[in-house]
Amino acid sequence: MAVPAPQAGGHGNVIGRNAEGRHGPLIRVEGLTKHYGNVPAIQDISFRVEKGEILGFLGPNGAGKSTTMRILTGFMPPTSGSAWVAEMDVAEHPLEVKRHIGYMPESNPLYLDMTVTAYLHHMAALKGVSGRARGEAVARVVDSCGLGNVASRIIGHLSKGYRQRVGLAQSLVNDPPVLILDEPTSGLDPAQIIEIRNLIRSLKGSRTIVLSTHILPEVSMVCDRVVVIHQGRVAAEGPIDALATGVQKEDILRVSAIGSAEALRAKLAAVPGVRQVSSLGASNGEVHFEVRAEQGREVRPDLAQAVPAASGRLTELRRERLTLEDLFVRIVSGEHKVEPKVDKESARA
Amino acid sequence: MRNVWLICRRELASFFFSPIAYVVLGAWTFLMGIFFSGSFFNYVLISMQLARNPQAAAQMNITPTSAVLEPVFASVSVVLLFLTPILTMRLFSEEKKLGTIELLLTYPLRDGHLLAGKFLSVLLLYAMMLAITLVYPAIVSLHATVEWPVVAAAYLGMLLLGSAFLSVGVMASSWTSNQIIAATAAFMILLMSFIMDFLAASAGPVLAAVLRHLSIGLHLRNAIRGIIDTRDVIFLLNVNILCLFLAMRSLEYYRWRA
Repeated sequence: MAVPAPQAGGHGNVIGRNAEGRHGPLIRVEGLTKHYGNVPAIQDISFRVEKGEILGFLGPNGAGKSTTMRILTGFMPPTSGSAWVAEMDVAEHPLEVKRHIGYMPESNPLYLDMTVTAYLHHMAALKGVSGRARGEAVARVVDSCGLGNVASRIIGHLSKGYRQRVGLAQSLVNDPPVLILDEPTSGLDPAQIIEIRNLIRSLKGSRTIVLSTHILPEVSMVCDRVVVIHQGRVAAEGPIDALATGVQKEDILRVSAIGSAEALRAKLAAVPGVRQVSSLGASNGEVHFEVRAEQGREVRPDLAQAVPAASGRLTELRRERLTLEDLFVRIVSGEHKVEPKVDKESARA
Repeated sequence: MRNVWLICRRELASFFFSPIAYVVLGAWTFLMGIFFSGSFFNYVLISMQLARNPQAAAQMNITPTSAVLEPVFASVSVVLLFLTPILTMRLFSEEKKLGTIELLLTYPLRDGHLLAGKFLSVLLLYAMMLAITLVYPAIVSLHATVEWPVVAAAYLGMLLLGSAFLSVGVMASSWTSNQIIAATAAFMILLMSFIMDFLAASAGPVLAAVLRHLSIGLHLRNAIRGIIDTRDVIFLLNVNILCLFLAMRSLEYYRWRA
């Protein structure tokens, strides 16, 4: 399989160690397909991750997130297609690629019979960090992952939150330019989730991170860009905002007012650009409406004037932003197909 | 090589952290001790009887080495049949159960190094077990002359036999995430190999020779008498190579299927 020439221009960033001077996305996945027996786990998955980016890998359970990540880390070979990390084909240079990657599997496997320090020393040594550098590396990740007060304890005795941090520390111990985290916050309590999220965010900038999750707020809080995977295929890709506007066909507004529901509805519906007004009921003397309007058309001033025209008093008027949940459900339910931004030519290369 | 040693060191630490090493070492020293003391006192009895009957003594060709140590060494193959599956069962099965194998396989580590490190760890533990039994020739040497070259050949034979047993166990462990199944599979394979000898009794001459050759325990017979037969050495090494090769393939298959 020919390795395509590195792209000129594009991002001027110098990618990770051992590949200095070359440019291009740090992770490139093209036409990745994996079958388990006859069952396709993923089909023709393609995406890119630029240096320093945090990519959210979104999808329902069983969509193929873990499979894609396992191929990226060199754990398993794809049935077809290929993956490059730092301009190296994972299948052709597995050992070199593995040196560039820190990986935390979904189940966060750890040697439960070792102490935190011994475990991190062992894993660092296996990653080729030797001598005095190893002691420093372990001290650094113990510090940055907040493991200072449990460093000499046996991992099997730690709480799930601390184990998750040990897993993260393990992935960071050789200071890899690429981090692949498979559902790093799964099974944690809300406080622990926030801690781990902050930890991941603190790694931003220096590292390229691919993070899978099915928790939607996590994506909007942590990630720059998302790839939505559904039934083994890329259902959507892009920055969260762009995806939201791409999926949304019309603007949705909430109008609350005190007055006669019938009169209000009639006046609101008469505003130019408004397609549909539906009543959301009444509470505390207020009536609430959901107004659907032409996308991109500013109808709020007219709506605001329509309320006094119906002898009502406006209490609230706001534009509803499509939440990630809505977005996700729409993409997954197939209500809206977002064309994946895939360079078909290079995918066939 | 550094990686092999790192893997091996962790396995050894894990053996001594868990009760496995102590259980196996305890069982080993207990059983071997019983065999040795039985053999030793039996020899004392025989030599006292022969002392009263010089004529019979002249006809019998026994030495302290052949009478005391040989039966002890011969019993090793049976003891190993039960103990090696326990030693090897956790090597890969536990990593598969915990999921740590997934992590290891994403480390800059060759499958061969992983396998070699794991195998080396049980081999060193077994060498330690063998070293403990050196007290028996030492005890005999206090009271009689020990033929040390014969003892050396016997130890080489026991090391090779044990190594073959362990490689069967490593292979079985690479098949499954269940330690009990790994131990049972290794035990069954070794037992089948022992039974070959019994089957040979009722087989034709050609088949019997093949069956005897496949009977793993028989390959210790020459070594404990001080004879290093290259056929034995090659057979036992081949068992090692075959089993470790199959274990390697099994790791590769695991990557594909996961």
